[in-house]
Amino acid sequence: MAELVTVTIDDRAVQVPKGTGIVETAAAAGVEIPVFCYEPRLGPAVGACRMCLVEVEGMPKLQAGCTLTAQDGMVVRTARTSPLAAEGENATLEFLLVNHPLDCPVCDKGGECPLQDLTFRYGPPVTRMTFSKRTFDKPIPISPLIALDRERCILCYRCTRFSEQVAEDGQLVARNRGALSVIATFQDLPYRAPFSGNVIELCPVGALTSTLYRFQARPWEIQNVPSVCGLCPAGCNISATIREGKVKRILSRNHPQVDQGWICDRGRFTYPALYAADRVRTPLRRVGARRLEPLCWEEAMDELERQCRAAEGKAALVLSGTETVEIAYALSMLVRRGLRSHQALLPDGVGEELDPYRAPLSAIAEAEVVVVAADEPVLDRAPIVDLWIRAARRRGAELVTIGPAGTVGRQPGDWQAVCAELADPGSAVGARLRQAERAALVWSSSGGCHLLAQLAHALSFHERPGCGAYYLPATPNGRAVTEAWAAAGEGSPTSPPSAFSLLLVSGDEALRDPRLPELAERAETVVAIAMFAEEARRLAHLVLPGTSFLEREGTLVNLEGRVQRLRRAVEPPSRAETDWIAELAARLDVDLARSPSLPRASTQEQAPLPPRPAPQPMAALQPASSLQAPPAPELRLVRYRALFSGPLVERVPQLAFQRPQAEIELSPEDADKRAIASGDPVLVRADGKEVELRARVNRRLVAGVARAAEEHVRDLPDLVEVRAR
Amino acid sequence: MPALRLAQERYGWLSPEALVEVADCLGLTPAYCLSVASFYDMLHLEPVGDHLVEVCTNICCGLRGAEAVLEAFQRELGITVGETTNDGRVTLRAVECLGGCGWPTVVAVDGRYRLSVSVEDVPAIVHCLAAAARREREGSGG
Amino acid sequence: MAEAPVLVLAGADERDLTKLAEYRAVGGYRMLEKARGMTPQEVIDELIASNLRGRGGAFFPMGRKASFVPRDTGRPTYLAVNADESEPGTFKDREIMLRVPHRLLEGCLIAAHAIQSRNVFIYIRGEYLAEFEVLRAALDEAREAGLLGDVSVVLHRGAGAYICGEETALLESLEGKRGQPRSKPPFPAVQGLYASPTLINNVETIATVPKVLELGGDEYAKIGAPPNSTGTRIFCLSGNVERPGNYELPMGISLRRLIHDIGGGVAGGRKLKAVIPGGSSFPILRADEIDVNLDADSLGAIGAFLGSGVVIVIDERCCIVELGLRVAQFYMHESCGKCTPCREGTRWMVQILRKVEEGAASQGELDLLLDVCDRVLGKCLCPLGDAAAMPIASYVTKFRDEFQAHVDQGRCPLGESSSLDGLLAPADQHASATAHGHLSIPRPSRPVAGAARGA
Repeated sequence: MAELVTVTIDDRAVQVPKGTGIVETAAAAGVEIPVFCYEPRLGPAVGACRMCLVEVEGMPKLQAGCTLTAQDGMVVRTARTSPLAAEGENATLEFLLVNHPLDCPVCDKGGECPLQDLTFRYGPPVTRMTFSKRTFDKPIPISPLIALDRERCILCYRCTRFSEQVAEDGQLVARNRGALSVIATFQDLPYRAPFSGNVIELCPVGALTSTLYRFQARPWEIQNVPSVCGLCPAGCNISATIREGKVKRILSRNHPQVDQGWICDRGRFTYPALYAADRVRTPLRRVGARRLEPLCWEEAMDELERQCRAAEGKAALVLSGTETVEIAYALSMLVRRGLRSHQALLPDGVGEELDPYRAPLSAIAEAEVVVVAADEPVLDRAPIVDLWIRAARRRGAELVTIGPAGTVGRQPGDWQAVCAELADPGSAVGARLRQAERAALVWSSSGGCHLLAQLAHALSFHERPGCGAYYLPATPNGRAVTEAWAAAGEGSPTSPPSAFSLLLVSGDEALRDPRLPELAERAETVVAIAMFAEEARRLAHLVLPGTSFLEREGTLVNLEGRVQRLRRAVEPPSRAETDWIAELAARLDVDLARSPSLPRASTQEQAPLPPRPAPQPMAALQPASSLQAPPAPELRLVRYRALFSGPLVERVPQLAFQRPQAEIELSPEDADKRAIASGDPVLVRADGKEVELRARVNRRLVAGVARAAEEHVRDLPDLVEVRAR
Repeated sequence: MPALRLAQERYGWLSPEALVEVADCLGLTPAYCLSVASFYDMLHLEPVGDHLVEVCTNICCGLRGAEAVLEAFQRELGITVGETTNDGRVTLRAVECLGGCGWPTVVAVDGRYRLSVSVEDVPAIVHCLAAAARREREGSGG
Repeated sequence: MAEAPVLVLAGADERDLTKLAEYRAVGGYRMLEKARGMTPQEVIDELIASNLRGRGGAFFPMGRKASFVPRDTGRPTYLAVNADESEPGTFKDREIMLRVPHRLLEGCLIAAHAIQSRNVFIYIRGEYLAEFEVLRAALDEAREAGLLGDVSVVLHRGAGAYICGEETALLESLEGKRGQPRSKPPFPAVQGLYASPTLINNVETIATVPKVLELGGDEYAKIGAPPNSTGTRIFCLSGNVERPGNYELPMGISLRRLIHDIGGGVAGGRKLKAVIPGGSSFPILRADEIDVNLDADSLGAIGAFLGSGVVIVIDERCCIVELGLRVAQFYMHESCGKCTPCREGTRWMVQILRKVEEGAASQGELDLLLDVCDRVLGKCLCPLGDAAAMPIASYVTKFRDEFQAHVDQGRCPLGESSSLDGLLAPADQHASATAHGHLSIPRPSRPVAGAARGA
């Protein structure tokens, strides 16, 4: 605990830890120091906007409050009690407004604009500016998602600092100098970066606005519903802006341990998919080979009941891992209790064996050493974790990435050998992990949760609260969904789908599972719960309307093990799953009363992380010989599900530019051998299947590996040949 | 910054392609390089002539006739300030204080200072540039 | 003042001191040897005793600044030499680099020893090509002669930005970034270049260091106008004066003497109208105020500054409104754009001044101009805002009649006969600005190119 110091702000004495920012110190004393550029999440204060000018006893000139820290005995006067500071505050507002268009009535920010609010409270009543204001072409689309109005911009540099110092994408910059300074991208190319949308929220004026939200609503006719993003296992906290029963935008809702108030563009911009043309709004029944026709609910429930009764003991459930605990439990009860069937395809999730080594995501940023074991990019599995890792590196953490594109290059899937090496006391990296008071192990590969737990145990992470092991599963709620399935089974063993006549598929993601076509072939009837008709058209005989996480009330458990509450932001276009499943359960005489073993969401706005349980005994890691590159000319294909992919992303045209390029990454060695250069068209083939992609030489990729987004290599096996076209 | 200067020395100005090249070499983004380059007056984001004539028009030179010298250059070169001659040989710019206030008017020709330049000196300077241009043409021709 | 010592430029009239052998012949690098035989603290003590103050404009005692540089931080310590001389009216550092480059290098090495730095960066303004070449040649000679020891001296060329003369902007620029000043604290002495302890000093200050050691701090402190303005200054005399140029003189010489006796009076026998001491960033003096000594205390008493040793002489033909407009244009052009009052205030000042100059301004706008200056003054992140507001405010205050005449007559009383009439500012032809349609402020005759505005 830092030493406490006493600071006097506007005659009010307040005690704060030494070094606390003066803006925060004033807030603790109940005094507002208005700010524009100040945003502690963006790094050290820059003191650019001069809104926070205060008078400090013993200093001749006004000081920027944001750049000062609390020292004992400091006496600060804000504009509330110092005429000099008031003059400074008023001057800054006047200067900010001399070239600001004051087009508040047509500005999206109007009503929730700091510049508007502060001008109203502290600004000059009239303008003394009689010259023509600076004008620019406007609005400039800096990407299909973001519009830039340079006339409104007050050059607080929040957006460029985010781009440079938080997301580290280096794409949004200040151009020119002085009064000619503008925010710009290179050559007016789109701002293409996974976290770009955060600059909209950071902008304290209406200079950066969302093209999806533009002219959609005014602040006094919306509600912001606090909820959680259900699109990846991180579970970033969000608010959904609702107007007239529709989602109009998604905002971040700062949970300091989970997301620090940042969200990725998939979380922010996929909500328009709720209103996609092929959204399933009524039950649908297959007619002919490809056609689906609407069915009334009465008929659908009768049909479903009939199918269920016919399939007793012969049903299989496919869960996508996007379900809430409640939906997953109800479906599982239906299948296991109602149909006495215990066959299921369960989603990837964090295993409970990792709980003794858990820590909040924010602990990554504080780690002295971060080791990332990644077959697939962290960004694509749980984007916010990528920001935490960057924050750690900026703070001086040693960062080691292991994997096919790591600083330590390994063949994909070589994790048994890697873990055994790290657990070995002779390993340098292992020793750092063993000794560091604060360390993080991040696992961004499919499977291997148990290996990670073994490694964390071997490194005795459970003895140090600052050390955390993070498994990034492929699905948002896989762990809780699996637990819900287990809770419904009363100890009956689960088997993978083998002998079944009814296949019940939950979720659009599950419908895209590469194993599904084969399963569907074997079923007499396929019942799908889907948001989008196109996703179900090929496979399903009966389609029931699925809902989005924005339309659900329920419980999600994120990769840390944090139990978070999902709130229904808008009504679904049809009956909710929980509603019709309950009806079906009643018809089949299944009691859906909640099992006490299910996780229960906290009632707090910011869900806490449950404490670590005591570790279970773990088997020691067995050494294994390291995987070798496949024999030439074959390459091992690493496929990853790109962040900007999937049923939701594909239904938002404005996100098309963010989708992965049709390219395959090759190591310099493999590219050289095949006389391939970056940008060349190449053929990727195996088993008589062939795909044409563009090559990209990645200097960090190990030889023998080729990497591509899953959607471009869906039909290919794991060993492929690549050659120039 | 030295990398941007080198790129400019090679290409004459910092074209988008040059910025991409610098960014690739340094592991930065082109946008970052643009941001830095656009801050400095001596880094050109637009093409300039083979030769650069820069006339100080700050107060010390201004008090001693810089405006007339600038006008003389405009007349001799047949362009207005900020422009490049049609043959792409010479760009004329007005610049801020060059730090030669004791010897007004200061004119920098391709970075080399000419001190105490008067209106009468201008034709000779322009003549020299034309001669240099002729030599370069012949040099590249032979 | 027959005994007036020449220190910084000593020997340069007689010999070609750009050559190492010649510089050694006048005792060059002996003080480096002496310094290296002293402890760093002893060197700093001499500097403190000399009360040598920063010649870049801030006039901060160099010895004290050096003593702020912490030792044993586990990080490297840097010496950054500010050779980004860009203040209008200043041309002394250039002379030092061209004529006594070895004295500058010797000063660098002594200062590096004092703060136990092994890394010296000389940030030389990009326009100074010849100066860079002379300094580079001298550095090569010194390196070959083994004078550098384990110290590396790097010459870093700027690329055209006045603001990089501000110490923290200089550091940002050295790091390869946009030259935007940092907020202080932390001060560079503690967290400077690459977040490491850094001493930053002006060329003239550093080039004086060998002489301080040669004379001894106490002896040096007797020269000039002790206790606060010790030693000599290279005064940069320019404008409408008969013999402009650099003159190294003891501090405390009278302004009248400098102009009339040393500078030969106003050129062409014209009448003196005003003098700008310090540089364009500082307040103006009327012709009746030149009976003042050029030292910090005397000038301070009448609200003026010594700055970078500048004296700009202005004769009766100059319209002060035009002078103000041109000065304001300079600061608008050079404002880095980081903080609000400077970025917006300098532009607003130019707009008002242009209107006054055109004779279109109202009475209220003169007061508005003063108020804008006042609202910039003391509220900016770095001194550039003050540097713009202070002179403009002084022009209006000291030459109120002339501003008033513009308002009353609806035109410039001097008309086209003014020496600054029609002077074009680079801000009006900023290459990247015009190309992007963001021409800063249109002159009435020129529409804003390409800047579309909705109805």
